[in-house]
Amino acid sequence: MSVSNVTATGINRSERITLVRFIALYSFLVLMILILGSTIYFKLQKDLMLQTKRLELEEYSKELIDGLKLLHIYFDRYRTYPRNPLYRSAIYDADHVQIFSTLKHPEGVRLDRVIYTTDGVIQYIHVLDSYYLGTKYTVVEIDDDRRWFVQTWNSILIYGGTLLVIFLIAGVVLMRLFLAPMRNAIHLLDRFIKDTTHELNTPVSAILSNIEMIDTEKIDPKTAKKIRRIEIGARTISTIYQDLTYLALNHKIASQDEHVDVSSLVQERIDYFRILGESKKITFETDIQPGVRLYIDRGKMARLIDNLLSNAIKYNKRGGEIFVRLRPKELVIKDSGIGMEEDQIKEVFKRYKRLESGAGGFGIGLSIVAMIANEYDLDIDIRSRKGYGSEVRVKWDEQ
Amino acid sequence: MGRTVVTILLMTLTVFASDMNVYERNCVECHKKLPVSLDKFFFNYLLKYSSERRVKQALRNYLKHPRKKASLATEELVARYGLMPKTTLSDKELKEAIDIYWEKYKVFGKIE
Repeated sequence: MSVSNVTATGINRSERITLVRFIALYSFLVLMILILGSTIYFKLQKDLMLQTKRLELEEYSKELIDGLKLLHIYFDRYRTYPRNPLYRSAIYDADHVQIFSTLKHPEGVRLDRVIYTTDGVIQYIHVLDSYYLGTKYTVVEIDDDRRWFVQTWNSILIYGGTLLVIFLIAGVVLMRLFLAPMRNAIHLLDRFIKDTTHELNTPVSAILSNIEMIDTEKIDPKTAKKIRRIEIGARTISTIYQDLTYLALNHKIASQDEHVDVSSLVQERIDYFRILGESKKITFETDIQPGVRLYIDRGKMARLIDNLLSNAIKYNKRGGEIFVRLRPKELVIKDSGIGMEEDQIKEVFKRYKRLESGAGGFGIGLSIVAMIANEYDLDIDIRSRKGYGSEVRVKWDEQ
Repeated sequence: MGRTVVTILLMTLTVFASDMNVYERNCVECHKKLPVSLDKFFFNYLLKYSSERRVKQALRNYLKHPRKKASLATEELVARYGLMPKTTLSDKELKEAIDIYWEKYKVFGKIE
């Protein structure tokens, strides 16, 4: 896997989130404008269609009124309503009571309008001056062939869709343009972190290996104590270095999974951290079953254990203790530290979250733990009581 | 004038009380002697007032207060036969007569 676009600051992810949010808001606004435009266009097209149909309907209406006039005059002899196969009609009196109707949809009649569509028909209302047979309103109805409707919708979909795509492309281009200066600045910072991290490795390794080479029995106890303090400091820097490297590079590189002897790894990491614990007079109590194995990247498992142990030390009180138990499918690390509130537990996996500003560190530890656990389907369960300490359980399925 | 109407009314009451209604006694009796036919008048009212409520209201107003301006008859007819006399019927009887008149000539349900 290429590591060229791997960053320490997570700029790619943040940029993607910003982009997605911007596009969401932008699309919403563009859609609103398009919907508004389409609504107006739709209404105009409908009005246009109705205006065209109106001429036809006015003719029918005149014909109907002529028929009504004759019927009014000769009603004593002749009572057949004027019908025409081209249209259907109805007549209403001044109190909106229906006198006669051949309509398909008499329930949709609105005498206060002139021309409108209802239920697949177009109705045209004409108000008479002379009320033949008491008729004040004539309603003439023809079928709406819906051709205009399909055509209008096609136009809206084609033009609206094209506009939406154009707007979105423009939006993305603009967004990238606006973000470019910020991205450059962050990339610079990113490179700086990577370079610094890299440069840190050699001196820290040199310090640690040289301290190990010192024979403490040959020097006086006062100097030995000082060297021990130097060693603690160097190991702390080394841990931070490992975390930073993991964030900046490791988790993007393909894992090299193998059957790891977790028992010896846990013991090894405890031994490494024992010296850091001593500075706070913290004692370790272990119950490690030998031979527990897990198919995982060794480096990543070490990061996970390191971070849990480091937290157990960091958030412990002076003279406290740390209890580590390893069983097949389960690792428990328990401290006698400050503990957390219920609502804080959910927050701890967020990057840069620090519960105690005095404890030092970057707040990236548990976020690394969460990333690794996520990758290997490990189940992490945190139980904590304020003032009594926390217990972290890592559980996995047998492989 | 009023007295003769009352007399006629009383006479008709006694003679036809059994098989004639208030409309036939008071409207048809008089109009059948005149060339101003009731059905033509009904359609004139329909042409001008359209709905049942408005036709009945106009008829009631005219019968209670006959005025030349409100008459739907042609000027020649009015000149020849004069305006109709003011009704002597009670409100209830007048309403009944008008209701019968409407029922007899209305177009509802008659168009085929």
